[in-house]
Amino acid sequence: MMELDFSVVLSAEFRSWLIGGLVLSLQLTFITLLLALPLGIAVALMRLSSLAALRWLGFAFVEGIRNIPLLVHMLFWYFGATALLPEAARAWLYEHNAESVCAVIALTFYTAAYMAEDVRSGIRTIPATQTEAARALGLGAAETWRRIVLPQALRASVPPLVSQTVSLWKNTSIATVIGAAELMYQAQRVETASFRGVETFAVATLAYLSVSLIITALSIAYQRRYPVRPA
Amino acid sequence: MIDLLQNYWLYFLLGQYPEGPLGGLTLTILLSVSALLLASPVGLLLGLARVSQHRALRWPVTALIFVVRGSPLLMVIFWAYFFLPSVTGQQTDQFPTMLIALAIFNGAYLAEIVRAGIQALPRGQMESARALGLSYTTAMRRVILPQALRNSLPSLVNQLVTTIKETSLGYIIGLAEVSFIASQINIQVLTMPVQVYGVLALTYFVLCFGLSRIAYALERRLARRPISSGAPV
Amino acid sequence: MAFYKALAVLAAVIGSTLSLPASADQLADIKAKGVLVCGVLGTDEPNSFVDPKTRTLVGYEVDLCNAIAKKVGVTPKIKQLAVAARIPELQQRRIDIIAAALTHTREREAVVDFSLTTFVTGQRVMVRKDSGITQLAQLANHRVVTVKGGTQEPNMRKAVPSVQVVTFETAPQAFVALQQRKAAGFVNDEVSLLDAFGKLGPAQKDYVILEQSLSVEPLALGLRKNEPALKAAVDGTLHELEKSGEAERLFNRWYGPGTKLNFPKRTFRIDTDRI
Repeated sequence: MMELDFSVVLSAEFRSWLIGGLVLSLQLTFITLLLALPLGIAVALMRLSSLAALRWLGFAFVEGIRNIPLLVHMLFWYFGATALLPEAARAWLYEHNAESVCAVIALTFYTAAYMAEDVRSGIRTIPATQTEAARALGLGAAETWRRIVLPQALRASVPPLVSQTVSLWKNTSIATVIGAAELMYQAQRVETASFRGVETFAVATLAYLSVSLIITALSIAYQRRYPVRPA
Repeated sequence: MIDLLQNYWLYFLLGQYPEGPLGGLTLTILLSVSALLLASPVGLLLGLARVSQHRALRWPVTALIFVVRGSPLLMVIFWAYFFLPSVTGQQTDQFPTMLIALAIFNGAYLAEIVRAGIQALPRGQMESARALGLSYTTAMRRVILPQALRNSLPSLVNQLVTTIKETSLGYIIGLAEVSFIASQINIQVLTMPVQVYGVLALTYFVLCFGLSRIAYALERRLARRPISSGAPV
Repeated sequence: MAFYKALAVLAAVIGSTLSLPASADQLADIKAKGVLVCGVLGTDEPNSFVDPKTRTLVGYEVDLCNAIAKKVGVTPKIKQLAVAARIPELQQRRIDIIAAALTHTREREAVVDFSLTTFVTGQRVMVRKDSGITQLAQLANHRVVTVKGGTQEPNMRKAVPSVQVVTFETAPQAFVALQQRKAAGFVNDEVSLLDAFGKLGPAQKDYVILEQSLSVEPLALGLRKNEPALKAAVDGTLHELEKSGEAERLFNRWYGPGTKLNFPKRTFRIDTDRI
């Protein structure tokens, strides 16, 4: 068994690389979450719409995105889609962290497709009696959604949505292939420079596990405060 | 576009084979199926260990599953790639490394599905089996597992779909699966990245969507035969 | 019962001795196996690359590996690796020799041994002519791209501290990024840059390779530490190739006049492993 020496990996320079990577991973996660959740809710509503065209569009979005690996999404946006932009837009993008931007775009679409399904199942757990009662009380369609169905549905969707968030956190690691300097990228960099693979990856694994744990703990605390009340 | 397809279809499908190791779409499919075949017994054993009475079995397995599920797949692949050989004393190439990483990763997920399936059955099943004189193992084998796993066929097909998508990460350790080959083609051709990655995306879509439709059909067929709910027959 | 226990103990003892790492004579192991495994990049023309017509791995380093295997009397097996995996693969015993554009550096001497220097090159930067960059120093605060896991990134940062470096899994992938204007410069060793430049064809007029070198890179084959017999065999083969003129012929075959790179002549000899 080789001798482990964590001091090398945790030395000032390498530590700053790893921390920088961790920070970017967290930023990618947070920004994606802000964008993907509304998009996911919108797509879920589309899938439950009375208009067949919207339903089909929602279905196409979800199935089209979920059946393609995240790696391919990332490569497509970074190496493919950017080639289609007009010259000026491209130049601007490259000056402003193209790697992170493309990673966020790929992650947003990918995560939204999964979240849409979770929200849709959440909505379906709300019995029709809720909608019926609301309409009987004179509430319009939009108000019924906004005040009665969606709030309950979202609360019911919290457990799977939290699970998606943990997946999202782990999925940020794939951004390394398009050069985004997140935690996995920096771990590879530290490993190259220090020749200390075990220690580097142990530290990075610990970081991933810790944040997964924190997200799950936060969700348990949230569910204690706002339990899912059966209808 | 036609030129692109005509020039590279063989490389896309087979990689360097037979002038070199197998690659491309064939390798992706081979790797996915093998990984799932390997992950199933692993998942079953881990799932059984998770519901076991013996703490010495339950705790380490629970810890292992926790670490594996909490880590990104890419991390599990790196661990397998860099350190499997020193642990097992064997040399391992990219394909076996990817196979083992996927088997462990998917095994951990399947273990939870098995555990949930077992724990969803009413306790009456195990109790009556034991009351009839069956040992724990026989009860598991002949009463509990068949029921717990019957409904898992659609889940298994869905897991295959997930595994197919996971094989794309072989790109990062240089395994010549279909995403790596597509990138190589893009590097050679250079002027058609949207088309190259578009074809790659379409390939995965056709494969995965097709399989998930099969899983959906299976699910509907099985729904007609519900699991025993414990109510008197 | 006791019999089975004894059998189990015996099996464990035999099993543990069989799985002990082989004693430190890798050359003898190679001869016993009959195979010499060389790790190459496969994406680094003309050192090692996939010939699109035959779909086989060919190149300068592939030929060196074949020559060594022939001398030792075994079959060569060429294995493709990622840049960052070169040293780990050697250390984990998955390959016998690194023939993957490995730069001989003092830091690396702590973990691997090097053969005689097989090639001398330097790292340089390719830029687009319309960026107006003519000197290394002008890359300050700009983005450059390169491959993960090599010495390109540290060398670039040493030369121009304020530069932003973005790395990709393979060098050609990074080159695509330059062509898509994702960065101002592409860092790689001189030979790979000239090869990439050659591939541009008519687009060559838009690019230029900056004069200044980031570093001098002596490339050599990588060997596991403490394997004197293997090192002697490898160095011996290289000496013979040099003496017989075969080494120069190999150079001309892949780098010389008439090839894509078109070097007029070789400026080094394969005769030393000192840096």
